[in-house]
This record gives sequence, C-alpha cells and structure tokens, in this order.
Amino acid sequence: MKGDLSLTCRDLERYLGEEEERVHALRGVSLNVEAGSLHAVVGPSGCGKSTLLYILGLLDKPDAGSVEISATPISHLRDEELARRRNELIGFIFQFHFLMEDFTAIENVMIPMRRLGQKNESEMRERAATLLESVALGDKLRRQSRHLSGGEQQRVAIARALANDPQVILADEPTGNLDTNNSQRAFELLANIVREREKALLLVTHNRFIADACDWVHEMKDGRIIASHPHGQRILV
Amino acid sequence: MTASLYIALRFATHRKRALLLSLVGVVFGVGIFICTQAQTQGFAQFFINSTIGSNGALVLRSRFQPRYEDMVVGAKSADAAAARRNYFEGINNVSEIMRVSREFSNVVACSPVIRGTISARAGFETTTADLYGIDPTSHLRTTDLAKQIVEGQFDDFRNNTTSVIIGYRLASLLELGPGDTIQLLSPGGEYWRFNIAAVARSGVSAIDTSRVYAHARVAQRLLKKSYQASLIIYKLRDPNRAPELGAHFENLFQHATQSWQEREEGNLQIFSTLRMSAAITVSLIILLAGFGIFNVLTMSVLSKVREIAILRSMGYRRADISAIFLWQGALIAGVGSLLGCVLGALLTWGISKVPIHIRGLLYTNHFLVIWDWRHYFWATVLAIVAVFIASYVPARRAAHLQPVDTLRGSSL
Repeated sequence: MKGDLSLTCRDLERYLGEEEERVHALRGVSLNVEAGSLHAVVGPSGCGKSTLLYILGLLDKPDAGSVEISATPISHLRDEELARRRNELIGFIFQFHFLMEDFTAIENVMIPMRRLGQKNESEMRERAATLLESVALGDKLRRQSRHLSGGEQQRVAIARALANDPQVILADEPTGNLDTNNSQRAFELLANIVREREKALLLVTHNRFIADACDWVHEMKDGRIIASHPHGQRILV
Repeated sequence: MTASLYIALRFATHRKRALLLSLVGVVFGVGIFICTQAQTQGFAQFFINSTIGSNGALVLRSRFQPRYEDMVVGAKSADAAAARRNYFEGINNVSEIMRVSREFSNVVACSPVIRGTISARAGFETTTADLYGIDPTSHLRTTDLAKQIVEGQFDDFRNNTTSVIIGYRLASLLELGPGDTIQLLSPGGEYWRFNIAAVARSGVSAIDTSRVYAHARVAQRLLKKSYQASLIIYKLRDPNRAPELGAHFENLFQHATQSWQEREEGNLQIFSTLRMSAAITVSLIILLAGFGIFNVLTMSVLSKVREIAILRSMGYRRADISAIFLWQGALIAGVGSLLGCVLGALLTWGISKVPIHIRGLLYTNHFLVIWDWRHYFWATVLAIVAVFIASYVPARRAAHLQPVDTLRGSSL
C-alpha cells in the first residue's frame, strides 16, 4: 500500500451537535489526496475544515459518504481496525502540538512506535533520535516537552507524526500557534519531508502564504469545498 | 513491556502524591485485615487445640438401643423428630470397640475414660469437680495432658495409683500443689484421700476449673460404676472429619458420639462471629481505600483527557486506553498488597508480643495469633477486587471519551 497510497473521500456529510443546536458541518465534500502532494484546506472558522480532517484521519465517522484508502472503503470498519490503520498509515499534527507533558521529546516520538510494536526499545529510541535530529532537535532529546519552546514543541510533534513512517500526514493548523519565522520553518520542514519521502500532506490553515505554497488549495465555506485549485491557479467547482 | 503498561507507569509516577495516598489505603487495609484475622483465628485455634488436646477430637459415649426406624409405621399425628433413643449408661466392650476403632485410618489413638462428678475438699474449701479416670499410657497418646503439666511430674502420677492430677484453676481455688493431699467424696458418702502428683493447665477455663485425673480402676471404684468406661476419646489425624467418623461409629458400635465441633459449637460460634465482625470492619477500610482509588483515577482521567485524545489520534485503541488506567489500578493493588502483607506480618508479630492477662474462657498471658497464608491470600484477593472495581469505571470512562470532542474543543 505504501508509495502509491491515495486518500479519497466522496460526498461526505456530517452533522454536529444535537437537536436544535445541530449543525450541518459537511455538505457533500469530495477530495482526493495522493502521495507526494501537499494539499491545503482554507476557509473561515466553522466552515468544516477540522471536521473534514478528523473524518479523513479516521477519528470521526461521516453520517453519509465514504472514505477510502487506496480505493479500499474504510468508513465502515470497527473502531479497533480504524485505530490500527490510523497508527500505521496516518500521522497527525495539531495546532497546539499536543505533546505528552510528562514525557521527554524522544519519549513523545516513541509513543506511536510503542503501539505499532514492530521495534524493540533500542530501535525505537534510535529512530526517534534520528527523527528529532532531522527536525534540528538532536540536542534536546531528553528535555521534558513542557520545557521546550513553542516552535520546538511543534517540531517534536512533526517528528512524532512521522514516527511510524505514515503515508498520510494530516495537520490541523500546524503553524497556527507559532510566530511568522517559526511558522515558515515548520512548514518548510514538513513540506521537504513530504516531498522527499513521497507522502501525502493535507493541512488546514488560515495562513495564506502557507496555503499558496501547497500543490493544491481547497477553499471551504459552509461545509462545502467551493473551489479547488493547483499551485498558482484558481478553479471554481 | 506493553505500550499501555509503559504509559500507565509514567502517568502513575508523575502523580506521586495521589499514588501514595492510594497505596497507603491499600497497605493499611491489607495489613490490618491480616493482623485482625491472625488474632481472632489465633484465639479460636488456641481454644480448639486446647479442647481437642484435653477432651479429644471425638468422644464415644453411652450405648443406645437401635430403633429399627425402617420398620416403624409412622402414625399421621406422630412427630418423628420427637422420637428419642433409649440410652444405657457406660461402655462395657471397651477393648473390642477400641480394637476396631484403631483400624480406621483417621484414628491416631484412643483412650477410655470413666467419668463422674464428685466433690473435692482441701482444708476448709470444697468444690465440685469432674473426675476423669484414665489409663495413663493410652491417655498420654490420645491427649496433650503431659504437655499441660505446669507443676509436678506426670510419671509421679503414672507410678502411684493413689495420686491425681488436678486442673490449674482448681489447684488455685483449693490452694493445692504437688505433694499436697486432696479428698474426693464418693457417691457412697465417704471421702477418699489422694496425693497430688501434678497440676495441669489446658488453657480452657472450664477444664482447668474442674478437672481431676485419677487412675481408671481407682476412679471406677470411687464412682461405684459397674461399666469399664463412660467414654472413649479419640485423637484423629484430621480433626475436621470428626463428625463423619462419629456418624460412622454410631452405626457401627451403637454408641452415641460427639465430635469436638458439636461439643464446642457455642464457643466456636462466638469465635466465628468475632472473626466475621473483624473481617467486615477491616473490609470497610479496604472499601474506603477503593473509593480513594476511584477518586484518584477519576481525577486522573479528567486531567488526562487531552493525552487520551492524543493517544487515540496516534492509533491507540479503546482497549489500550482502558488498559492504561487498569494498569494503574493493578500497580496500586500489587504494590499495596505486597507492602500490606509485609505490614500485616509485622503487625501480627508485634501484636503477639503484647502482654495481656486473660483468665476467662482461655488462659493466656499474651495475644494469641496464628500464621496462616490464607489470611495473606484473601487480603490480597480482597484488595485486588476492590481496586479493580474502583479502577474499572474510570478506565471505561477514559476508553469511551471521544477524541474528536477534545481535539475540536482545543482547536477552537
């Protein structure tokens, strides 16, 4: 499955909340993310960007429509199976990095590997160290995550997302909590890794410069993708 | 080490104070449970050993007339339960019964006793006594009488048919000791004089207050009994099977029997009630510890909502999340039980050294305890069950947290 992986969703519908507070968060969203490509989802707050990301990341289930990984429908799978695929195929990066506070940088990166259970302790430690070195944190392996700066924490989160060598990286405003310099560095790091290692990246962002640097930009409004355009172009759908 | 266990250990060690509080509850619960059980059962076991050591595990008594119940046609108004056996006092074919009895594997030894109630007099003091006419050799094999001698010599009794052994409290009451003389009143109204060879202390007040041992032939003549023995007492390999053997002997010999369980039923019930009461009281401590652990783990789940969402996003299953909190409970239960067992052993040892002065049902100068692995086993089981129940609800709650709710809430 690796190398030629594609993540596809078709006609996604999702309602959030109950009864009077019910919101139609996604209205027939379809998207295809292929290996080696960077996709940005932009749009105003509450337009359904994060909801789309969580469904594509197998953390949430759509009320209608389907999600496929390499043409295999997965929406109907049991929670355990979804968790396994999430662990093997998908890496998440969040706006607030969401590191485990009580763990060191290297321990945070090792957490997904522990679940996968394919490496022994020293192999996991070695891979985590390599990943942290690739995000320029080789000298801070054993530092408690809460003692790292915001930019460093986000880089640890990037390393952690890559721990199990996932084919898809889903990032929910990964630079939203960083200053301009750190945002730029974090994105460049992520973009390089995705391109070099033939992974697919789908990121939700409010940052226009980052969105424009992606291969595809999908504009969302009121639960719909109103426009999808490749780098430098704008095509209304 | 599994991923869940690793994370559980990290979570637990980063909440040291909460972990310590939970541990303290389990440690004290287990320790006190063991200690109280060791005490209450210690007193009970001492009583059982003493009464079996003095009166045997099983006693065969008077002959009864068989009713041939299979042949009786029951009247409609007849109360079957009211039907009673006809008893004939004493045992005449003692040698034959003892010979057959010894063929049973559970029988270690047996000894005939001729028994009667008499008056004992020394100086101006007179009291009622329970005369046991015994054969010294067989009685020594069947009971702990030799070990119970606190003053004088058993051999002095064995070698002198005009001597007696008297109970410790009876000796105190009559102010007698070895070498003194005691007078026993026969049913014919004449006093017989005996030398006191030894004083015995069984530890059971009822025995020590009234018991007088004499030679069987002398006792038979003093009591003017025509039969050889009033009862035969048995020492058994497994005293707990005394009721079954007693029932078998009744059918075989047509003599009534009484096991030590029937004989001491009242006292055993008191000990059992005390033990149960102590167990319930101490179980409440473990239950309270369980509530503490429930609170600690619930708070832990609430404070780790974000971490749970992160783990779920990284592919951890619901079962993994649940296992993290169950492992924390298991850690508390395991370490708490281990330390609790050590504390229980130390408390039991310490309590056994505490001097007390009991001269009632039992005779003892210090707390009586028993060392029984089952106390440790059940205390551990109780702690594990309590902690598992206390951990299960928070663990289940953690497993069913929706990661999207947390992630969405944090990203707004």
